Amino acid sequence: MKIIRFFIFTQVFVVVLLFGAASLFAAEKQADSIDELVAMFDDGKCVECHEETHAQWKNSWHAKAVISSLKGMHNFIVIGLEKEWETPLTKAQIMKCLDCHAPTVKYASEKLAVEIGNMIVTAHKKKGTKEGDAAKKELARLNVGCLSCHNIKAGAVARGLHGEPKPGMVYGPTGEEGDGAHESTELVDITRASFCMQCHGKYKAADGETIQCNTLSGSYQNTYVAKGGSKTCQDCHMKNGHTFPGGHDLDTVKEGLGLQVEIVSYGHLPGTLKKKIKEEKKWIPSAVVNVFVENKTGHRVPDG
Amino acid sequence: MVLDVTARNIDEKDAGKQILFSDQKVWWEIGKDLEGRMRYGAWQIKEIVDLTLQPMETRKERFLMNFDTDIETVEVEVNLSYYINGKKGDVIYSEKKILEYDFD
Repeated sequence: MKIIRFFIFTQVFVVVLLFGAASLFAAEKQADSIDELVAMFDDGKCVECHEETHAQWKNSWHAKAVISSLKGMHNFIVIGLEKEWETPLTKAQIMKCLDCHAPTVKYASEKLAVEIGNMIVTAHKKKGTKEGDAAKKELARLNVGCLSCHNIKAGAVARGLHGEPKPGMVYGPTGEEGDGAHESTELVDITRASFCMQCHGKYKAADGETIQCNTLSGSYQNTYVAKGGSKTCQDCHMKNGHTFPGGHDLDTVKEGLGLQVEIVSYGHLPGTLKKKIKEEKKWIPSAVVNVFVENKTGHRVPDG
Repeated sequence: MVLDVTARNIDEKDAGKQILFSDQKVWWEIGKDLEGRMRYGAWQIKEIVDLTLQPMETRKERFLMNFDTDIETVEVEVNLSYYINGKKGDVIYSEKKILEYDFD
């Protein structure tokens, strides 16, 4: 009887160990090439069912989050790391940019992450050359894609509660399964301002370094919310879907600002001005212009 | 974000002499490092001097302008521009008004 019990126990233990190792492998799988990385988080599959949403995203700045920021990231590597810090380019260092600009790079190997960093330098430094354009074309495949938000970053503001994202799982506000193309989990986090604040605010890297690309969340939290504001980022920046319009979109900027102008003309009393005028005894043509500039957004302007 | 207020003598043919008044108000942020030096790099900026327009805030700006006694027609133009970066700005709102003076 003892032998049978021991046999069952060892069988169960082995099965548990194998499953555990497999899931651990899935979570820690690291890509060695951009092809492999893109395949791991293949947004191309999303378009099959979510055509309109994908088309909106394609026109968003999230879709070009790496190639639209090459200069800043190049400067971080060439000036920040090389000259100021005298520190080699590593995955941990480049993740200070790419954790937000291309979250999938979290799953790149050290070697690939460094390669991507070097490609950023080439794409910016050799802009307009065959080599520079080739690097930029390759980097254009990295961005803030569907699974960047709907998987990698989805539960990150409450990681202790949610744990690491499950590979292949799509986290969204409804958790609807659709036609079974993927597993879905409802996650309210993705509808909250704190979700966007992960990147649209002062960023704190794993080693404690603060990176300040923008501080939208600072003024959102400390001024807008403090004054009683209750709208979320998504209320304004996602009301037309996944294009996420902001400062680059003039209609959005106009919507967020108000201008009222009042121009009044009058005759200033003769002989009362210090400045020299042609005829001292004549009424002086004058005007008062009152301008009221209103910030109707949930954050300071300009910013972002 | 920049507010430009300009008054022009539209009777003046010489474009170089048309401007009677101009003033500007700028809202922006100054990024600085821990030594208090102005910086542009996101990794260098640790604090800011916040000169931006805060949420839920309306700022009133007043401009008083006195022209010369022979000025009869003035065009006042107010432009509010938004700069997505230091180089690229777009006019968001623009208002113009013609003022006529005849005190004789």
